[in-house]
Amino acid sequence: MYIEDKNSHQTHWKEYFSFSSDHKVIGVQYLVTAFIFFLIGGLLAMIVRAELLTPQLNIVSRSLYNGLFTMHGTIMIFLWILPANLGLANYLVPLMIGARDMAFPKLNAIAFWQIPVVGILLLLSFFLPSGTAQAGWWSYPPVSIQNPSGQFINGEFVWLLAIAISGVSSIMGGVNFVTTIVQMRAPGMTYFRMPVYVWTVLSAQLLQLFCLPALTGAAIMLLFDLSFGTDFFSPFSNGDPIIYQHLFWFYSHPAVYVMALPAFGVFSEVIPAFARKPLFGYKVVAVSSFIIAIVGTFVWVHHMFASATPNWMRIFFMASTMLVAVPTGLKVFAWVATLWQGKIRLETPMLFCLGGIVMFLFAGITGVMMASAPFDIHVNNTYFVVGHFHYVVFGTVTMAIYGGIYFWFPKITGRMYLESWGKLHFWLSFIGANLNFFPMHPVGLQGMLRRVSSYDPEFTGWNVLASLGAFLLGMSTLPFIANMISSSLRGHKVSNNPWNSTGLEWTIPSPPPVENFEEIPTITTEPYNYGEPSRFSIDSRTI
Amino acid sequence: MEGPINRHTSEPAEDHLSFGFPVFLLSESIVFVSFFVTYAILRIKNPHWFPPGVSGLDIPKAAVNTVILVASSIVIHFAERALSRHKLINFRRLWLLTAGMGIIFLIGQAMEWHNMPFGLNAGLAGATFYLLTGFHGLHVLIGVILLLLMYRRSLIPNNYQTGHSGVDAVALFWHFVDVIWIILFFLLYIW
Amino acid sequence: MKPFNIVLLAFFVILIIVTSHWLGQQSYTWLPVPAALEAEPVGDLFSFLVTLGSVIFLGVLGIMLYCLVVYRVAKDDHSDAPAIRGNTKLEITWTIIPIFLVIWITVYSYDIYERMNVLGHLSVVQHHGPLDEPAYAAEPKTLSGPTETIEVIAKQWSWTFHYPNHKVTSSELHLPVNQRVQLKLQSTDVLHGFYVPNFRIKQDIVPNRTIDLSLTPNRIGKYQLEDSQFSGTYFSLMKADVYIDSSEGFKQWLKLMSNQVRKPAKNDAFSEYSQPKQTKFDWPSVTPATPPLVQSSW
Repeated sequence: MYIEDKNSHQTHWKEYFSFSSDHKVIGVQYLVTAFIFFLIGGLLAMIVRAELLTPQLNIVSRSLYNGLFTMHGTIMIFLWILPANLGLANYLVPLMIGARDMAFPKLNAIAFWQIPVVGILLLLSFFLPSGTAQAGWWSYPPVSIQNPSGQFINGEFVWLLAIAISGVSSIMGGVNFVTTIVQMRAPGMTYFRMPVYVWTVLSAQLLQLFCLPALTGAAIMLLFDLSFGTDFFSPFSNGDPIIYQHLFWFYSHPAVYVMALPAFGVFSEVIPAFARKPLFGYKVVAVSSFIIAIVGTFVWVHHMFASATPNWMRIFFMASTMLVAVPTGLKVFAWVATLWQGKIRLETPMLFCLGGIVMFLFAGITGVMMASAPFDIHVNNTYFVVGHFHYVVFGTVTMAIYGGIYFWFPKITGRMYLESWGKLHFWLSFIGANLNFFPMHPVGLQGMLRRVSSYDPEFTGWNVLASLGAFLLGMSTLPFIANMISSSLRGHKVSNNPWNSTGLEWTIPSPPPVENFEEIPTITTEPYNYGEPSRFSIDSRTI
Repeated sequence: MEGPINRHTSEPAEDHLSFGFPVFLLSESIVFVSFFVTYAILRIKNPHWFPPGVSGLDIPKAAVNTVILVASSIVIHFAERALSRHKLINFRRLWLLTAGMGIIFLIGQAMEWHNMPFGLNAGLAGATFYLLTGFHGLHVLIGVILLLLMYRRSLIPNNYQTGHSGVDAVALFWHFVDVIWIILFFLLYIW
Repeated sequence: MKPFNIVLLAFFVILIIVTSHWLGQQSYTWLPVPAALEAEPVGDLFSFLVTLGSVIFLGVLGIMLYCLVVYRVAKDDHSDAPAIRGNTKLEITWTIIPIFLVIWITVYSYDIYERMNVLGHLSVVQHHGPLDEPAYAAEPKTLSGPTETIEVIAKQWSWTFHYPNHKVTSSELHLPVNQRVQLKLQSTDVLHGFYVPNFRIKQDIVPNRTIDLSLTPNRIGKYQLEDSQFSGTYFSLMKADVYIDSSEGFKQWLKLMSNQVRKPAKNDAFSEYSQPKQTKFDWPSVTPATPPLVQSSW
């Protein structure tokens, strides 16, 4: 039954367009902005997949195609996944640890407002005489700095500028989250009473802080090579393009954990809520986030098994990459064990998380395959890799983001979404994603390379299937958009805890008051205390 | 909402800077590390490092600049000590002296650039020299600006009533800039 | 456990093992036909990985589906489930087993990598540079004839093959069957990648460095070389035909070529570039290298 809580606070829509320093407003700003860029990045993918319906080039020019996949990758990583994760984290972390806001609220707002700037820069580059950056989201020299247009302001220049601004924003976020989590937990909330989601955000943000600057350094040197005539990476002037690769991947491998860890965090919150059972092996799941982050910093050369790397380096990084599979696997086993003997309800958030775990299982297995250097040398730079990482970034992370949005939607808006449309959205996404990304594996094994705008006719069948899947995925966003808009305006109003879930965020009104907690609570219990006596404590001041 | 109103939490907002700023500096240092590593690898692979006619960099002048910068770190340390003992006038003088020494360092750097026998585009030596000293110099400049801003704030009466984490942060930044220079000096000049 | 459940579990386990084994056998057909000695161990490795991966995937998926069916409750059931927080024995087991599996895969892969390197068939990737590791000294085993050395020159966007001992330059790569071949990979402009799927070998080509790649082709036929490292506008068109000839056929081809006059090679990138621009979004490209002068049989 819904009882209106007079302390709930509906944010006025104008606030979402302002320089607000309220983490809840900023969280929604990140989520909505990121989703818009998700649609744009998705549109670019639709054009790519339309071109790949046939083996020959017939829709776009070669250079536009190269620009499309470059922009697709860049936008999806830097303007969808990373900011969407930040949106959820921004909204949830202070609530989950019993704080009133982040440690640096104004810095938080500054970090957000850089995101639209990055996006606008990248989109405008489509209209430069040189076109966009066209060397893939890796931007490897020498090809990325050839600058055939001869213009000073060219697509690659704009791309590097955008990456730099995105980097500044990310570092601001990193400092903010780490400080908040370390210093602002409510009394009694020790690290081992924090929800796993907070652990994963902490690990992810530590990775951002200590690995992203390597990419910043690489980007600055690349910019100098491109625009100021230096030779850091120019092989004919004693420079070394392989150094760029090392610096790039030193960040970009941990970057995938920055993307995936919060997704694992979402799974860790949703599964217990919809199995009504404590998270199995909570402490291990929590610590494994750190272990993944640490080990994950020492695996980057597995992206370079076919590059100019010596044998000993390939073998070392093969071993380290295999190792990181262990803490990751532990999480999957823990989620499955949470289901065992649970009381399972299959509402939309749960469906997205379960689908995400299944697709992650597949992605993890193909990942371990590629950790094996002799096998990877065959599939490196083929569609097998593209299939693998789309199972991660879409099949795991995007599904987790969707699951998280549905789960916390009632908390954020004070209203419930429409369940039937949520289920429709899930099935279209799950089927679309598998249809789109599974065929990439066989075709990659057969030798179809990535980033090609035309291919051997023998690969046509799988490509047609993949393109159909892509179009289905495109359409799957429609019930989601309709649901979000309609339910925020007219959905059934909800009380504090419509899911009857554990967690501090569910003890306050929906939507929360501006200062979150009337009184900061004192924590005396473990998280996920389903089925335990402490669950139904009458005293709301100690939880 | 202006800032967190912490009923029932222990730390005042100021403490956040004492934690967050060192974390930021650690992160920022990685950018320099990426430059240092690139420089080291390129230098090892290219024993004939300097352009023809150049045997090395001007160590004596750079050594003088180094001494000035290191000394300024000592000065700022005494400035902080003065502040913690509430000796405000001493604090302000030493603080301003630090800024002055920073400016001297920057002038010295600019003069060195002006007299360099090779430019940015003179191969790897040019690229790495100017990138590293330029990036470092930019940080010194930012440090000087921060020092002057803090100096202005120090003139406000009762500015340090609740603590001086801003001063601490800028002083830490100054030490950071100093340490980076020492590493740079050894890598670029002594090597 | 009830007897029925034991039978069900046994059935499930057997089904997984049988299916995984079958998938492992099928996996050989998912790869292109192997045409080099080095390709065969990779096929075995892949089969092993598929089998193991299938066991894990089907096993975990099966348990999940079981839970979703058996433990599902009605929507209006808001009661909590038993507060089981963990099981130390189980957790230790499912930590140790993956560690063991991962070590197994690593050691097996290392072994395969070594075999591709050391057993006289494929020497390691050799670079020429001060910091680079010297290759394992590969003892040539008893294969027919000495190692054939071929220079591979990659540029935006064509492949040229030069046979220094025979003074032949071609845009097709001809290789003698069952004879060790050493390819000297070079690029004149940007990064490229040497990749023939049927060989299971791939190596990025770095400009201003010669990288030595050795292999032993062992199946006569026609294959395709692709540029595997993104190299710019016409990257997709940078392909070349690869012929593995019999020993006699190879010698004949060389003799035929060396008598030919050199003419510009056919080059898809150059042809496409020469066509008029179609749309507004046809951005400036690096000019393709003029087609190299090669001997050919056309």
